[in-house]
Amino acid sequence: MEKSTENNNKQNFLEEGFKGDIFKHHKKYLGTEIPEGYFAKSKSSILNKIKEDIILDVPKKTKKQLVFWMRPQFKYMAAASLVFILCLTVWLQSSNKTNVLEETNFELFAFSDTILIESLLVDESEIEAFTDATLFNEILVKAELSEQKLDNLVLDNLILEDSLLNNYIDYGLIETLVL
Amino acid sequence: MSKDADLVKKLQNPALKDTAFSELLDAYQERLYWHIRKIVSTHENADDVLQNTFIRIYKNIKKFEGKSSLHTWMYRIAYNESIRFLENNNKKRYEDIDAVSESHLEVLFEDEYFDGDEIQKKLTNIIASFTEKQQRVFQMKYFDDLSFRKISEILEVSESTLKSTYYTTVKIIEEKIFL
Repeated sequence: MEKSTENNNKQNFLEEGFKGDIFKHHKKYLGTEIPEGYFAKSKSSILNKIKEDIILDVPKKTKKQLVFWMRPQFKYMAAASLVFILCLTVWLQSSNKTNVLEETNFELFAFSDTILIESLLVDESEIEAFTDATLFNEILVKAELSEQKLDNLVLDNLILEDSLLNNYIDYGLIETLVL
Repeated sequence: MSKDADLVKKLQNPALKDTAFSELLDAYQERLYWHIRKIVSTHENADDVLQNTFIRIYKNIKKFEGKSSLHTWMYRIAYNESIRFLENNNKKRYEDIDAVSESHLEVLFEDEYFDGDEIQKKLTNIIASFTEKQQRVFQMKYFDDLSFRKISEILEVSESTLKSTYYTTVKIIEEKIFL
């Protein structure tokens, strides 16, 4: 390669600037070279690389397409059907509830009627025995239990207060003695 | 419609994309090569980065919204690709800037496609002594002949800062080159 001798005119250095031929400009000021026919070779190499990249990208895209349930259309359909099923379930449940309530009301009415009719047919002695037993179980036993609880509570409080008082007196005495 | 706008329209049309991309390579390949070469020093590195740059342009042309000119957009991609290349290949770059400048010059002067005389080597040395930002501004303005507005869009620095940086570097070069 021949050495550049264009910089011998020192006075014009940097003054000429860019004059269209970018290669000459770089060669003149920086001494940089490039292989012959480089840009033509580089162009075809870039185009080939892009083609290779496109070919490599195509299988990736087809792979993506194989997973059909990942497609957006399918996602929307699945979401819509889920919402529909949810709404249907809620609607069915609410409609069933109203029917059940209505049925229970009828049953309650029927039950109350039978109780009233049957109560008319029961002997008075049986009713008295039932009321006595209920009175004993429900009122007397419960009253006794609650009384016992109250007693325990009062006793506990008394014992606790006494012990606290004793402690307080002991500490007080010790303090006065020491001081 | 300007030539670039027409080219972008074709590039964004899948049917015309490949033909338009070939046109784009004819129009910008050389300019981008020189822009990259000054950042990555050697022809071999510049060739790699140029290929990556055009592949990135091809893949991302759909995302180009026309907020800046096509020219500026491609320069920014080339600039970012070059910086990424340097970061990957020279992790020490940002640890010791002086060592990097020296190694950068060694690599450049040993490159098969460098044929600079004493003045050219001196200019390269002076440029290498500048900060990273000063180097880019001087190279983009003086060698790539970009307007301050375009450089400001690429480097995201205000035009006034760029102007003062550029004139400072020119002054330093003119003072030092024939010492």
